Amino acid sequence: MENIQMLLKQGAVGKPCEAIVKKGDKVKRGQLIATPTGLGANVHSSVSGEVVEVNDEMIVIKPAAKQPKTFVKIKKGSNLEMIKEAGIIGQGGAGFPTFIKIYNGKEDKPVLDHGYILVNASECEPGLAHNIQQIDEDPASLLRGVHYLMEIAGADKGIIAIKKKHRETIEKLDALLKDDPAIERHLLPDIYPMGEERAVVRECLGIELEPDKLPSAANAVVINSETVYSCVAAIEDQKPLIDKWITVRGMIKGGNEAHVFENVPVGTSVQTLIDRAGGFDERGYGEIIMGGAFTGKATTLDAPITKATGALLVTREFRDLHGAKVGILVCACGGNLERMEDLVKKYNGTVQHVCYCKQAQEMPNGTRKCERPGNCPGQVQNNLDFKKAGCEYIIIGNCSDCSNTVMASGPKMGLKVMHMTDLAMMAVGHPLYRTLRVSKQVSQDLNVVDNVEDNETVQ
Amino acid sequence: MSITAETAKQHANDPAVLCCRAEAGTELTPANFEDPAIFPDLVDSGLLNLDGALTIGQVLNGSKLTKTVDSLTPVTADIVDKFDAAEGGADEAPAAEEAAAPAVAAPAAAVAAPAVGGVINLHIGEGKDINIQIPAGIGGGAVAAAPGAAVAAVPAAAGAAPAAAEETGEAVVVREMTRKHYKIDKVVLGDETKIEGTTLYVRKEAATEGADAQKLVHSLELDVITPDDYHVYSETVMDIQPIATKEGDDELGEGVTRVLDGVVMMVTGITEEGVQVGEFGSSEGYIDENMMWGRPGAVDKGEIIIRAHAVIDNKKNMERPGPIAIHTAVDHVTQEIRNAMKKQLDDSQVVDTQVMKQVRRPGKKKIVIVKEIMGQGAMHDNFLFPTEPVGVLGAKPNVDLGNVPVAANPLEVMDGCIHALTCIGPASKEMSRHYWREPLVYEAIHDDDVDLVGVIFVGSPQANTDKFYVSRRLGQMVESMNVDGAFVTTEGFGNNHVDFTSHIEQIGKRGVPVVGFSFCAVQGALVTGNKYCDAMIDNNKSMSGIENEVLACNTLCHEDAIRGLAMLKAKMAGESIKAPERNYTHSVKENNVDLIEKAYGTKMELVDNEQALPMSEKRKAKYD
Repeated sequence: MENIQMLLKQGAVGKPCEAIVKKGDKVKRGQLIATPTGLGANVHSSVSGEVVEVNDEMIVIKPAAKQPKTFVKIKKGSNLEMIKEAGIIGQGGAGFPTFIKIYNGKEDKPVLDHGYILVNASECEPGLAHNIQQIDEDPASLLRGVHYLMEIAGADKGIIAIKKKHRETIEKLDALLKDDPAIERHLLPDIYPMGEERAVVRECLGIELEPDKLPSAANAVVINSETVYSCVAAIEDQKPLIDKWITVRGMIKGGNEAHVFENVPVGTSVQTLIDRAGGFDERGYGEIIMGGAFTGKATTLDAPITKATGALLVTREFRDLHGAKVGILVCACGGNLERMEDLVKKYNGTVQHVCYCKQAQEMPNGTRKCERPGNCPGQVQNNLDFKKAGCEYIIIGNCSDCSNTVMASGPKMGLKVMHMTDLAMMAVGHPLYRTLRVSKQVSQDLNVVDNVEDNETVQ
Repeated sequence: MSITAETAKQHANDPAVLCCRAEAGTELTPANFEDPAIFPDLVDSGLLNLDGALTIGQVLNGSKLTKTVDSLTPVTADIVDKFDAAEGGADEAPAAEEAAAPAVAAPAAAVAAPAVGGVINLHIGEGKDINIQIPAGIGGGAVAAAPGAAVAAVPAAAGAAPAAAEETGEAVVVREMTRKHYKIDKVVLGDETKIEGTTLYVRKEAATEGADAQKLVHSLELDVITPDDYHVYSETVMDIQPIATKEGDDELGEGVTRVLDGVVMMVTGITEEGVQVGEFGSSEGYIDENMMWGRPGAVDKGEIIIRAHAVIDNKKNMERPGPIAIHTAVDHVTQEIRNAMKKQLDDSQVVDTQVMKQVRRPGKKKIVIVKEIMGQGAMHDNFLFPTEPVGVLGAKPNVDLGNVPVAANPLEVMDGCIHALTCIGPASKEMSRHYWREPLVYEAIHDDDVDLVGVIFVGSPQANTDKFYVSRRLGQMVESMNVDGAFVTTEGFGNNHVDFTSHIEQIGKRGVPVVGFSFCAVQGALVTGNKYCDAMIDNNKSMSGIENEVLACNTLCHEDAIRGLAMLKAKMAGESIKAPERNYTHSVKENNVDLIEKAYGTKMELVDNEQALPMSEKRKAKYD
């Protein structure tokens, strides 16, 4: 068994933790090995074994040949204390420590004022399957978890936001929700980016938050479904966050169906997971994306998964643009400029011009957030600019609606439009993001068919 | 891009086009609409057909879509549940008078930079809020010509019914200046500089001395070109200068100026390698084929030309010291003539006396003329306020002054306070003689409806940061003048349009109506623009709307000044100014001239263009 790499910084936000073990220490699965130095959460070993290296980035553990099924339990305490102790961070995105999201330090005044726990079960990134599979296998635990969180955060209501296309899973939830009036479900259309935090708030509560506002401004906490399960495990089983559900998909031997691996030890390498899925497709591949096709980043075979990792997508081989001039349209939904430039380089293109979506507001930390996620502000001006700048191709990372707008004028101008997710979408067998033929509104009645058009028609 | 409620209001009468896909049942809001400002590009490129489109104003009153439609779909009657009736306004012409006097102007126009692969490439080093719209030659077609600037007609009221209420008194003469004219009908090069009767003798050696004093000037040679000898080859003309001097200790713009009629100085220059001292075209060739006779800056037909031809160091043609050295060397010759004029001329020889008055008209609309002059360096420089008319001594180059705005009075301008090292483009550059006969200053000072407070010269620096620096200073200066209107003129085209439009913005945003003058037409369309650039006079005269390398062809003439005054008066009276057609067309000017003639009951004589000249080989090959 390969060495396990436990990163000291497990999420995208926060500060690296400090290791409390040293080289040569014997550790057990579930043992606390690093503690926060600022914004962060505890890190526990996902395996039993021996610490073989501690450096600024990670603790490397050589697993014992025989791994226990059990783990070192966290100590009992209040539900909130156990969530904190278990080192739970958000598993849908940046990895924000969960206990900070639901607790403000005030015993008498919870973060919400009779507000909402919004469970993000949108599994928004195309091609991923592990969130829905987890709910499908055990919907009851999710509901228990929502109640735990409602109690801690001071919410009166829980809402599970899930895409309407997951009919079977929704039916299972509905069967349980019949007897649980405090929790309801909200059905989402199958478009990107329904899982954006503020999009979830807007869809569920009808409140459009400014880009710099947190869901708390709408009296809500948004929490990813897998994170809820981790909380349940911490509270009921005293289990630290050491295992992850991971979707592996794409150019994998044997087909492009999703491989969902349950309870993968955090720190497992990309290579190990690809191997478990069956290895690379012999036709070759372009890159491995850690995370979703929109917001994930290219990774390497030796990289470890973290608590915040949800997927590994293996893309089709890169196309060769033979140095053609490429325009980059940066928005908040897809990759940042650095990621887009990396893709253009991989495609052997030349970056000729960069435009920004009008709604992609730059935040103080340099990231961008969309003013109205999923609702396009118009893109023809950018296309004119690309054309003027002499671009032959443009690469976009836009949401479903904006991609549709880009397509309304780009090709007519002679711009060849590529979406940053194309090679991943081809690899997983998902329609490319081009035109939009489905409604952005869905009926909350599961039996009402919303529209008949189909995104598949477009290539 | 989606628009704001404010923009929607501004464009209430423009077509409503969806910026993005919108589903049936959507109640239309400004966020649903594409910005009408970019429609021309879209229509040109075949991306948009506005037939049957309702206006934004018609569908903002709770109209809902009855159909799901895609981005760039015009909102037509068949896809909304209801819409308001079309408003009166533009279409219905509320008053005949207003309809008869539409003012027309160019919005921010586009540049026609070298087209590569059907796309215009444009580089602006640095700038803020610069919106550039260029038809992208979509669909493989030719690049659409940039919009031309246009002109306004005066409201009929401007002449017929002046607002008498505010008039407080008579015109006030601020200062006077006298020009005494002396006739010259023969110029002889010889051993002594003197004037005998109507013959001017110029000492040949003076040129050699002038050259010797300038390290960079290898040689300076004089010759005389007489009217029967205009078909003579000349290197590019750097400048045309009047020969004039002040009487006694009189200062520029005051007292008495003596000027020789019938003769001008013409400065030409090349490097040792034979490179013309010019940029973006040069006017070398036969003089009769390349001189637009009679332009304010050019030679008048019938005048004797003293040609001073300089040869300078290689590579110095595009460096500042080169042109400066040439002009300084030539001025050595001119100064000797001026000295002779001071000593040898007396009032018995005066053939004509002109008393020039700077008048103020209290109670009338106060206006200021801002003249942008070149300050990028090389020959793009101007000596400001020399001691003698169009002299060198005592002057400061505006590049050295940092190109900041400098105030002058109208008489100083017409007394040669600008010694022009000139600009790019033979056809559009303003030479020294242009200022001496500046038509806009002349027309403004003689217009009873306006009170010309003065003239501001502002340089056009090379760097964009400097451009915005000077234009901010200009805005502040104009603000402090409390004027009701302003003209901004420029020479050349391209680089200087960045500050030209910025000047207009700085003045316009202070609530002062502005009319701009520039050569734009086809080749010189503005590279930048802003919402204050809505009233423009195009100085173009050329048939094809181009820099045709015919000297002074496209410079500001009296007919432009009259159009500009009419337009500014219209703008100051609150008249809206109609946008011109998207592509440059002569008809805008023709229509406006027509309107002015009707409103004033006068006939405007329009100047000739290059078509009146014998066809040169160069023009035949390159342009027409």
